[in-house]
Amino acid sequence: MKFAVAPGPHTAPIASVPLTMRRVLYALTPAALAHVWFFGSGFAINFFVAAVTALVAEAAVLMLRRRPTRVPLRDGSAIVTAALLAFAIPPLTPWWIPAFGAATAIVVAKHMYGGLGRNLFNPAMVGYVVLLVSFPAELTQWIPPRMGDLDYEHLGFLAHLVYSLTGTLPPDFTIDALTRATPLDLVKEGLRSAQTYTEIRAGSLFGGVAGRGWEWINSFIALGGLYLLYTGTIRWHIPIMLLAGLLVPATLLWLIDADSFATPGFHLFSGATLLGAFFIATDPVSAAESDRGRLIYGAGIGLLTYCIRTWGGYPDGMAFSVLLMNSAVPLIDRYTRPRIYGRD
Amino acid sequence: MAATKPVPTLLLVGVIAVGAAALVTGSYEFSRDRIEANRQALLLQSLNDVLATGDDTGVLNPTRIDLSDPQLLGYEDPIDVYIVLDAGRPRAAVFPVVAPDGYHAAIHLLIGVSADGVVTGVRVVDHRETPGLGDVIEADKSDWILQFDGKSLMSPDRAQWAVEDDGGSFDSITSATVTARAVVGGVRTALEFFEARSAELSARAAARAEEEPVNE
Amino acid sequence: MSRIKVLVLGGLWRNNPALVQLLGLCPLLAVTTTLVNGLTLGLATLVVVATTNTIVSSMRRSLMPVVRIPLFVLIIASIVTCIDLLTSALLFELHEILGLFIPLIITNCAILAQAETVASRRPVTESLLSGIATGLGFCGALVALGALRELVGQGTLFAGFDLLLGPWAAALRIDLPFEGMLVAVLPPGAFFGLAVVLALRNLVSARTGPSVRRMRAVPARRS
Repeated sequence: MKFAVAPGPHTAPIASVPLTMRRVLYALTPAALAHVWFFGSGFAINFFVAAVTALVAEAAVLMLRRRPTRVPLRDGSAIVTAALLAFAIPPLTPWWIPAFGAATAIVVAKHMYGGLGRNLFNPAMVGYVVLLVSFPAELTQWIPPRMGDLDYEHLGFLAHLVYSLTGTLPPDFTIDALTRATPLDLVKEGLRSAQTYTEIRAGSLFGGVAGRGWEWINSFIALGGLYLLYTGTIRWHIPIMLLAGLLVPATLLWLIDADSFATPGFHLFSGATLLGAFFIATDPVSAAESDRGRLIYGAGIGLLTYCIRTWGGYPDGMAFSVLLMNSAVPLIDRYTRPRIYGRD
Repeated sequence: MAATKPVPTLLLVGVIAVGAAALVTGSYEFSRDRIEANRQALLLQSLNDVLATGDDTGVLNPTRIDLSDPQLLGYEDPIDVYIVLDAGRPRAAVFPVVAPDGYHAAIHLLIGVSADGVVTGVRVVDHRETPGLGDVIEADKSDWILQFDGKSLMSPDRAQWAVEDDGGSFDSITSATVTARAVVGGVRTALEFFEARSAELSARAAARAEEEPVNE
Repeated sequence: MSRIKVLVLGGLWRNNPALVQLLGLCPLLAVTTTLVNGLTLGLATLVVVATTNTIVSSMRRSLMPVVRIPLFVLIIASIVTCIDLLTSALLFELHEILGLFIPLIITNCAILAQAETVASRRPVTESLLSGIATGLGFCGALVALGALRELVGQGTLFAGFDLLLGPWAAALRIDLPFEGMLVAVLPPGAFFGLAVVLALRNLVSARTGPSVRRMRAVPARRS
């Protein structure tokens, strides 16, 4: 016999918060390793700093609010926030960037709205956007991926750590010489200055589908996403509709004018598309409630991301789109409220 | 509220209206000249900034002429070109120019050029570049905009009028190449405009100067 | 508590137009990027609300209800126009920065609310005092938010006071050893800053003084 499944309120779910968070972290591990392989140890340092800050901030706020600290600190939600933030910021960055981002995420986005389960906005994205708007210079300094044939200077773990703590690079290095525009930046600026997409794609930072290194990291993220789908940690509505919302307009415009619009494949494997689809937008707290609502919510994020990437002022728009759709969730929920049995 | 009659109320409205009109007229009369003087001072200040003359005596006696060249300058309507006359001969010109390809919107510049086509100064009048990245083109935020001083279409030569990233000789801006490129392009356009129209400019300025020997 | 004391305390704190009634938020959010901007707009508003209250109160007995709102607007608009012209003449550079927001004082509901609820019902002295208190309360909120945003956003305090007070005041500027985080000066920072100021006000008010509820009952008896 098959039972209908509908959104809450119900009896307690079987999957607990710690289990869910642990699965999310497992799912992110391959991508994290790939990130460290391609972009160096910066990711690990940033993740560590963000996680410690997030836990300290969580503990501090819980104590201020006179709430028990043991359970919330162990549920792993702060660690997941820290991990998502570490994926969003550039690997080579001063320590206070991840620290400030994580603190903003936990204190402002999570606890000022009432703590886990009550946050209106996705904490990691709030932390990232505050960083992006406040410190644009630090947040746009990406280093190129580790590729044998690229003009690429590899910094070891120690050099990363020293830069993170003191802001000084080994002699003979300057931050301007180390950093490169990201593939999304290149496409955006190139299309603006009337280059065709094919010309831009010929650049050395591009691989088979999208940016080199990036396409691998994003593939691992998709793998992790499939694991989450398989274990039932997330449901298909948001990821599928998000990808559709992004890829349908991308495909249409690319078919119309392949010179001035990037390929759908590029959009799929660039920036935060897959991370957003499987890990960010699926945050159950800040997403819409009902299945129908989640379809709208996901599609909205995808479409907005495409618009910001193509016509907006920033190269990627996932964070802004998620926050915008977060703010639309109460409205979506209102119009997609399931019928109450025996009423209406 | 006490019961009121229509007539006294009408009277009251009239009195208030007259009073308000008198008040506004009075303060307008009081402030008109000062506001005009302030505007002039601001204009002279901004002209002085791009002329980099140091002393503002005698030099800033600009003749204003209208000129339009939408193709080069990006303005549809006639623009004001200020010509600095030195003993009847044009010494420098100041005029606005638009760099249409800023990151978020067009960047408006004011540029000063000496009679021999050398930039005396450039200032950003209005822009929408990203705060913290592209806004270093403001003179208040960094010295980036000062690198144009003393440059002309001869030095560096025309091919070099681009940012470093594009193989030119002007400093680019970290993470805001588009902004730097737009400003460099705008300044070059302004110099090209000046090169193309300088003869006409000086002729018109000279004619105007004879017409009204004492400039406003 | 005497009525005057209630009115004055109300304007300054308990019924603060910006922080309790949440009126006039548009200029409050828009101009408070620095302390001096907030202070200047606050002072301009203070002058407007005090003058309007005095004028309205002095003719409250001959007001016919149907024309009162247009009259209030006429009075407020002409005073604001004067102030706009005078600041443009005397404090030109500040006027360039504050731009549209001085004329926009006309639309500040806090001023109309004062004319309607206090000035058209109370004697001149009370109305004047209430106007001054309300203006100071609004000004205080602008100054607090301006100081907070300037401090966090650009790491300075009292920057640009020479525009208001003359060249000597440039020395008042305090520079902190950090560059500031841009978000505080940008529009989102205005909302975050306002939230912080509101929270602080609520905290102080919860810890001290009588309950908010008692205060709410006092003003504006309908006649």
